[in-house]
Amino acid sequence: MKIIVCIKQVPDAKDVRLDPKTNTLAREGVQSIMNPYDLHAVEEAVRLRELLGGEVTVLSMGPPQAEEVLRQAISCGADQAVLVSDRAFAGADTWATSYTLAKAVNVIGAFDLVLCGKQAIDGDTAQVGPGLAMRLQIPYVTCVQKVREATDSGLVLERMMDDGYDVLALDFPALLTVVKDLNEPRVPSLKGKMRAKKAEIRRLTAADIGADPACIGLPGSPTQVVKVFPPEARRKRAVFTGNLDDQIGQLVDSLHPYL
Amino acid sequence: MLIIDKELCVGCGICESSCPFGAISVVEGCAVVGDGCTLCGTCVEVCEPGALKIEGLEENASMDLASWSGVWVYGEFRGGTLAPVALELLGIGRRLADTRKVPLSVVLIGSETRDAAEQLIGHGADTVYRIDDPALAHFTDEAYGAIMTALIRQHKPEIVLAGATAIGRSFIPGVATTLGAGLTADCTQLAIREEDGTLLQTRPAFGGNIMATIACPNSRPQMSTVRPKVMAALVFDGERQGDIVDVKPRPEQLATRVRVIESVVSKEDNVNIQEADILVAGGRGLDNAKGFTLMRELADSLGGAVAATRGAVDAGWIGYPHQVGQTGKTVAPKLYIACGISGAVQHVAGMQSAETIVAINRDKDAPIFDVADFGLVGDLFEIVPKLLKAIEERRKS
Repeated sequence: MKIIVCIKQVPDAKDVRLDPKTNTLAREGVQSIMNPYDLHAVEEAVRLRELLGGEVTVLSMGPPQAEEVLRQAISCGADQAVLVSDRAFAGADTWATSYTLAKAVNVIGAFDLVLCGKQAIDGDTAQVGPGLAMRLQIPYVTCVQKVREATDSGLVLERMMDDGYDVLALDFPALLTVVKDLNEPRVPSLKGKMRAKKAEIRRLTAADIGADPACIGLPGSPTQVVKVFPPEARRKRAVFTGNLDDQIGQLVDSLHPYL
Repeated sequence: MLIIDKELCVGCGICESSCPFGAISVVEGCAVVGDGCTLCGTCVEVCEPGALKIEGLEENASMDLASWSGVWVYGEFRGGTLAPVALELLGIGRRLADTRKVPLSVVLIGSETRDAAEQLIGHGADTVYRIDDPALAHFTDEAYGAIMTALIRQHKPEIVLAGATAIGRSFIPGVATTLGAGLTADCTQLAIREEDGTLLQTRPAFGGNIMATIACPNSRPQMSTVRPKVMAALVFDGERQGDIVDVKPRPEQLATRVRVIESVVSKEDNVNIQEADILVAGGRGLDNAKGFTLMRELADSLGGAVAATRGAVDAGWIGYPHQVGQTGKTVAPKLYIACGISGAVQHVAGMQSAETIVAINRDKDAPIFDVADFGLVGDLFEIVPKLLKAIEERRKS
């Protein structure tokens, strides 16, 4: 059983705030972390390997410092790590990212299963997983909340839906994106941490994966950021006046978009 | 890549403090870009001397953009009914189509769709492409994606909108990848740029701490998933005329590798509070487990889920899966209604990213009011039933 887990290093979104005075992003104290959903993807891969044998390869596209999250994944039980890193990837949107990851997966070689977090908390797009599956020409299931059965040939899964869940069966190869309900990620063992420290991270450049320069980074991205701006004032702190019925009426007016 | 004009750079450091990725720094009086740069453009925006520039945005004229015309909406249909977001998309879709002076069409995929096509026309569609087949009773990425992709290739719409629902966010990215189309997720505003007719898609990023406007100027179709409950549906007009075009799916489009064993519609205990758009949360102020019956009523009325504080969970009034806070889940719904919650730091840490926060509490000095957009001071057992009634009446009117 060969499993590839795609992970991303992200700024801790809850720390990213706009400075209300300067209207710029306050960066102080913003940590880089492994995308939280990816922790669950790594955990599931390690569990499946423990159940079925095989190996787990973690793959990340990012700057050199993304090595940190790859080492973290090794400390949590992944066997090996690949970092695909090149200045030419800068500005990649989800289309160019899925292209780059697919090219890297092809270099890594044969696989049975690809796992991704449902989405990264910086962009929140949830588009790279499905895009990668299309490029690898394998079926995919998003928002997997439970693995019911796992055998050498395939899986029975629960996919979270808006009104409940679907139970699905599929054969390998396939790609899954996972939500946090799937499992409880383990705490790295001391041995795992030692292994992560010593592990050699394989580096791949745009040339190594045979990427077409027109398909990567900003030139390969159909979407372009036109502008970035602060959201409207975050908290209105409105105080309603009048008797209770009036106040409730004003509240319902204010909640109109949600009704 | 990001180009820094050393002559113009004054080394003020505003770019450094503005960069969401910590990728730019001032070294010896001049900005230097590092490997973390994603070309998001934030620094270019804030640079007063204009020393920063992103290169590589030159026109890619390989595509014949003019041959793509019309606005399309994916008319999500599940469990025998149209998703409300389908009608909301027709509202904004109508506006975009009228601005562009092009027709508005809907793709309706499912089984036993009955009068759904007529509903869509009454809500603003000019044409409904209806693919109704027993094999499409359950959603699958493969079949729905293959049908959608083939129709887009055939008819070449310039804009394709879908709801940012579990279904839309699952199969639309696959469609966009196959088409080589730009796709923007979770849009909250859509508009047409006057100069060139490009779709401007605005969405929150970084958990809603930043807004970004995205365009796909050089490729078609321009695709967006749009958050439910952001756009307003048009009033149904039974007199509206439109065409219903029945399309027969090809057998190979219906062959899927993922098999649906069953669809389970959950009772509220299975609802994941992190996925819910609206949360009604209760704390110690509910007094007992019965208080959560009222929370459920309000949540059901709003189409939301029930959340709780650690205090309420520790008291055994509701299960741990509902717990929000440092020791529970972190949530960022669109609307969070905190009832009988004092606003302890450990709870606030788990819900402060909500788009709108409403607090209902007896104690006017409770810290929850400091993080709320709207506050009502009073007895929640009096306020919530009145609120329920007021919501119902508002919906009727």
